[in-house]
Amino acid sequence: MTTVLDVQNVESFYGAVMALRGVSIQVPEGQIVTILGANGAGKTTLMKTVSGVIYPEKGHITFAGDRIDGKDPEKIASSGLAHVPEGREVFPFLTVEENLRLGAYSRKGAADIEDDLDMVYSYFPILRERRKQASGTMSGGQQQMLAIGRGLMARPKLMLLDEPSLGLSPLLTQEIFGIISRLNHEQKVTMLLVEQNANIALHTAHYGYVLELGRIVMAGDSEKLLNSADIQEFYLGQQGESQRGQKRWKKRKTWR
Amino acid sequence: MLDGVTTPDGSILFDGCDTIVKLWAKRCKEKAGHTAHREKEYGIWQSYSWTDFYEHARWIGQAFMEMGLRHGECVQILSEDRREWIYIDLAVASIGAIPTGVYTTDSADQLAYLVNDSQAKFLIIENDEQLDKFLEARDKMPGLQKAIVLEREGLRDFHDEQVMFYDELLLMGRKAQEKHPNRFEQALEQVQPEDTRMLVYTSGTTGPPKGAMITHRNMMFQLVSAETLLDVSSEDEQLCFLPLCHVLERIFSVEQPIRAGAVVNFAESPETVFDNLREVAPTLFTAVPRLWEKMYSRIMIMRSEATPMGRVVFDWAIKQGLKKAAAKENGKSLDPISGLSHALADWLVLSNIRSMLGMTRIRRGTTGAAPISPDLLRWFAGIGVPLSEGFGMTETAGVATVNDPRNNRIGTVGPALPGCEVKIAEDGEILIKGGNIFKGYWNRPEKTAETMSPDGYLLTGDIGEIDDNGCLRITGRKKDIIITAGGKNITPAEIESKLKFSPYISDAVVIGDKRKYLTCLIMIDQENVEKFAQDKQIPFSDFASLAHAKEVVNLIREVVTETNAEFARVEQIKDFRLIDVLLTAEDEELTPTMKLKRGFVEKRHKALIDQMY
Repeated sequence: MTTVLDVQNVESFYGAVMALRGVSIQVPEGQIVTILGANGAGKTTLMKTVSGVIYPEKGHITFAGDRIDGKDPEKIASSGLAHVPEGREVFPFLTVEENLRLGAYSRKGAADIEDDLDMVYSYFPILRERRKQASGTMSGGQQQMLAIGRGLMARPKLMLLDEPSLGLSPLLTQEIFGIISRLNHEQKVTMLLVEQNANIALHTAHYGYVLELGRIVMAGDSEKLLNSADIQEFYLGQQGESQRGQKRWKKRKTWR
Repeated sequence: MLDGVTTPDGSILFDGCDTIVKLWAKRCKEKAGHTAHREKEYGIWQSYSWTDFYEHARWIGQAFMEMGLRHGECVQILSEDRREWIYIDLAVASIGAIPTGVYTTDSADQLAYLVNDSQAKFLIIENDEQLDKFLEARDKMPGLQKAIVLEREGLRDFHDEQVMFYDELLLMGRKAQEKHPNRFEQALEQVQPEDTRMLVYTSGTTGPPKGAMITHRNMMFQLVSAETLLDVSSEDEQLCFLPLCHVLERIFSVEQPIRAGAVVNFAESPETVFDNLREVAPTLFTAVPRLWEKMYSRIMIMRSEATPMGRVVFDWAIKQGLKKAAAKENGKSLDPISGLSHALADWLVLSNIRSMLGMTRIRRGTTGAAPISPDLLRWFAGIGVPLSEGFGMTETAGVATVNDPRNNRIGTVGPALPGCEVKIAEDGEILIKGGNIFKGYWNRPEKTAETMSPDGYLLTGDIGEIDDNGCLRITGRKKDIIITAGGKNITPAEIESKLKFSPYISDAVVIGDKRKYLTCLIMIDQENVEKFAQDKQIPFSDFASLAHAKEVVNLIREVVTETNAEFARVEQIKDFRLIDVLLTAEDEELTPTMKLKRGFVEKRHKALIDQMY
């Protein structure tokens, strides 16, 4: 299995704050890798650093065999890395189809764009229905689908998904994650997934990292993470049996 | 015997008192409204007077008498350091009962063991977290009468027959005080020098923990004997952060301040010690080597992040400081030119380092409980922090030897305390006799007999030598002696402490008993190794991957090779493995002072060890 993305010892600043304090992760081809972490852990900074929106202060990022740290985001995007940002960020006044075609901007002139458009519509039928509608007038869930579809249109070697469940109902979240899984299975899309909803993320991904205060504190395949006592207590909201039926204090994290 | 202060019946007097509690009552009366303790509440330091100290302890003592606590019975305290800990400590001792502490990191089963072993009637519990521990194991503590919880937070709806709260205890004491106004003082007067002042459980690296009975006389001896070596005045400020159940912190944060009327400041938590140090700027500070090492690495990390110019100036200043320290060590003073450059270095750099560490007012730093690197002691001397190493154990009621800060023999743990005799047995074991030797193990006369020689010396179990100046040097533990398959005797501690002096190694255990050659399990220092990996751009994710990184293993191999160079061939380490889990004080492999327990480590990591043979 080849490694699509290799992040080594990356340090990044978010303004004056050192948001990443030496992070190393790897994404193998064909897999979904997830990054878990609380608010402010540095998840989005990591995504932005990978896609080139933020330059890393230190460290290397290798994407499909090439060094990409310090490169401009448009170069990175056209080399096959699609960033589906937090909060969707679709172009509100463009129609659904225009948004999707924009996703294929870097492949201009390619003959199979129409096929890909069909492929996206087959995964998200609602987008086909609304292809002429201005995307800003759609619901949050539909916009999220559009954002993912737009990412797919670039035929990416790697797709970064930043909190696809943000602001979505539980049912819609399940639907979106179902499609993410199918895309991975059927279209072999490699994904790096940032998620607050640890439960669904770990059930979707093959491998996971836990990011806390800009550092990776735990890594392992999803099975291992799901069974870890710390993950269960701090990310899955399960608590051990308490003597009193209520518990205010938190156990100390050991990350094993 | 101590001249001039020992009465014909063998008790030791200080300020006219022969027990700690009498001395304490006297000090409280004299110092009255002056500050005894400081503690942070909602982020602001609050002061508590000696009168608060006395009154609270008296109420607590009265309440315990109401509840039927009798002379010679134990009270267990399960709490982090805080002023209530000390109030209860003195309250219990004043009525002739025995206070003893449990580490907050201990498990429910360990708690039950200690409660049962000490036959405690009462258990003090800090908060809801510790309360859950008690509730989990209460069925295993049939002898326990009552548990008293200090903090009500999170327990508003909690009611239990066997549990009461600290404020209820105080109220009960207040009422009792009105009914029997002199009962507490009468009890206090009746406490005898030979009564047990405290029960201190040994960490139990081998077998279950044993309770060492330390008498008032032992502690009075400590106060009198160390009066000149470890002088304390009422002007002194201290920071209390090591667990109070340990004899070291008890001496330095309870008994010594009572002797002189010094102020004790409580650190908020073990994690905030460095911030609290800067806030308090103590004049006296006692810590374990691990903490001094952390201070050093903090400064060195700052150095590596400084500008190139800053680094040059820093290195130059440290050099000046070390030069002065070296001159002092050899009993010389600096020539005028060096003296001037030292003054400049101190003004420019060294004084800033001290203020970053909270050592602006430090008069004396002490270290003990584990070996410390001589280079580290010299470095602290260099930046102007006088740090001296001492030696002692629970069975010597804390201190047995300590270096005089004015004549610091680095590399030794100093001469014996006045009135205490240290000698070396034929097999190299250190033997100690004196007023600080404990009364015995609680309910274990056979263990007490095993630890005393027929002529009244304590068998320390440590091996060492005494140099020409009468200073003791520790080389290892007798029990830990490794006899290799080749029949060679090796003291692992010597090798282990050399390894530990590397900033990248936080502890090590040498293995090789009945084996062909020596090997070693090493626990890496997370902070420094992470920093190393980050600087060298070595990818790692979690702790395990850090410990497995080739470059990290090579880094440790270099340290091992360097260490090997100082030892004879049979004493060299042939192979090593890094422990790839980040151990915490809750883990059985570690003592509360973060030392690896040989027995547990060998059992837990058997697979790693077997790989090496």
